[in-house]
Amino acid sequence: MRAATTAVDYAIDVDRLGVRYNLRLNRKNTFRNTLATIARRGDAEQSFWALREVSFRLMPGESLAIIGPNGAGKSTLLMTLAGIILPSEGSLDVRGKVSGLLQLGAGFDQELSGGDNIMLAGAFLGIDDREMDRRAPAIIDFADIGQFIDAPLKTYSAGMRARLGFSIATAVDPDILLLDEVLATGDEVFRVKSRARVLELARAARAIVLVTHDMSWVTEFCNRAMLIEHGQVIAQGEPADIVHIHEQRSEVERRRKVAETALLLGATPEVATALGLVGPGRVASVRPTPRGGTER
Amino acid sequence: MGWAGPPMATRPVPSLSGRYRTLPERMNMSHEAPAAFHASAVRPGAFGLVREAFDEVRSRRRLIRYLARADLKKTGADTVFGNLWWILDPILQMIVYVVLVTLIFRRSQPDFPLFIFGAIVPWKWFTSSISEAITSVSGQDRLIKQIKFPKIALPAATVVSGIVQFGFGLLTLAGMLVLLYPERITVTLLLIPLIAAVQLVFTMALALVLAALNVFFRDVVNLARHAMRLWFYLSPALYGAALVQELGQTQPLLAQLMKLNPFFTILEAYRSAIYFGTVPDFAALAVVLLVSVALLALGAIVFKQLEPSFAKVL
Repeated sequence: MRAATTAVDYAIDVDRLGVRYNLRLNRKNTFRNTLATIARRGDAEQSFWALREVSFRLMPGESLAIIGPNGAGKSTLLMTLAGIILPSEGSLDVRGKVSGLLQLGAGFDQELSGGDNIMLAGAFLGIDDREMDRRAPAIIDFADIGQFIDAPLKTYSAGMRARLGFSIATAVDPDILLLDEVLATGDEVFRVKSRARVLELARAARAIVLVTHDMSWVTEFCNRAMLIEHGQVIAQGEPADIVHIHEQRSEVERRRKVAETALLLGATPEVATALGLVGPGRVASVRPTPRGGTER
Repeated sequence: MGWAGPPMATRPVPSLSGRYRTLPERMNMSHEAPAAFHASAVRPGAFGLVREAFDEVRSRRRLIRYLARADLKKTGADTVFGNLWWILDPILQMIVYVVLVTLIFRRSQPDFPLFIFGAIVPWKWFTSSISEAITSVSGQDRLIKQIKFPKIALPAATVVSGIVQFGFGLLTLAGMLVLLYPERITVTLLLIPLIAAVQLVFTMALALVLAALNVFFRDVVNLARHAMRLWFYLSPALYGAALVQELGQTQPLLAQLMKLNPFFTILEAYRSAIYFGTVPDFAALAVVLLVSVALLALGAIVFKQLEPSFAKVL
């Protein structure tokens, strides 16, 4: 056993991580809403666990794909790994510089020019000005935004914004790269370029965690995968196996929804059962699960 | 979204990084943003939170400076007159009050424009800093969900950019003294930075609390607008301490309460230094400073306590 040495080498160590959202606090809150909620107290669940009992360890050089249905908690997990959201229970150890692209085409400041955004990114990531100045030409070149570098970010097209974001996130030599559904953006040329860049980073023994709905990415470029549903880890392991489990489960889920809809529309239970037939199993064998969280 | 036309604003603005500076600063990046972190539900106690807030502001000075510069660039670049508005604004406001008080209320003082200008400039600094700070966190939801950084940098940056605008206000004041009231120039003017420091601590304390609260209750920004207006009229800006004394003869309780207002002390101190050319009441100023430091610690605790929820709520 090499346990003693490998234990030191990990890039990310997640131990029984849980993230709870308080449903009483949300973005459009006013005093009036709060009073109304207090008056209704007890009506509904006050909080919900977006993630529960998530544990895994990632070594440098590994690239982990997180897959699962919408609202499963994939983005929440990525935000927690980035240190944006604190765990409500359990713990998280991240060793190395984290960089990521968690929000599509967000950028830092819409009013500032692309060049200023690069420098601002450096200030956020704690990379000093000279270093950032040195890297700026490569970033601009990779993003392929040319003379627009001096124009405010708000004048950029969605594709340009995505390219600049990806270019900055990967150019700053991250030890750990977090990517949320960003590889599907941009034109074909940029997709090829960004794939090459991610593979390059993976080969340089960086740890990569990516959330994606593109299963070909998972099987082709990742060496680990994790399936999350309703905030819980359903399975993790070899990408091909996990993708297979995910596809099977989505099919079961899809049929269950069809059967449910049929029932709602007035179909007889027999018809609904027939519609929801899944291979050798039946609708009844699929445990109905409570609705998951929202994609935020 | 999509293509939004050619870049319109390609005017040569100085780079945010001030790339032309030749400062030989090469900060060790691990001081700014640690390359590793541990996260759990365990939060430090009140004292730990204050220390954390202090360390964050100190270690992320460059980020705060950049955010402040970005803020200034935007406020300056969007109007025809640009930064000129920072000079025009207090002058125009002063003219409005001079007309109101001298012509309508007929309660003038000798050199009345200077009398109120010395109060308007610091008060504008206070209100604009606070109103910018209130939305500094809630308006940056995309940023907060995109990257890990100490959120205290956001209100801190607005307060810092406020200092620059205050500087422009003081320049205007200097111009006014030289051109119109040269006989009022005294050494006590040198006390302004000291008074401003006290005001800065108080402003920062309030900015932290309001910025954090507005994330959870969006009414804070609306309430604050009216509260600030009332606060202005209850502070000795358009009138002097003498009027409050006078009021004390008929309504001693009200006068007493008015004197508890930190801005009673602060504005009176500015007025002593600028208008009367006398030394301000240092004892009262020291009390305000002590209270402000305590409030700042409290504000830091409130802010740091609420900080973990920002990304979830926004």
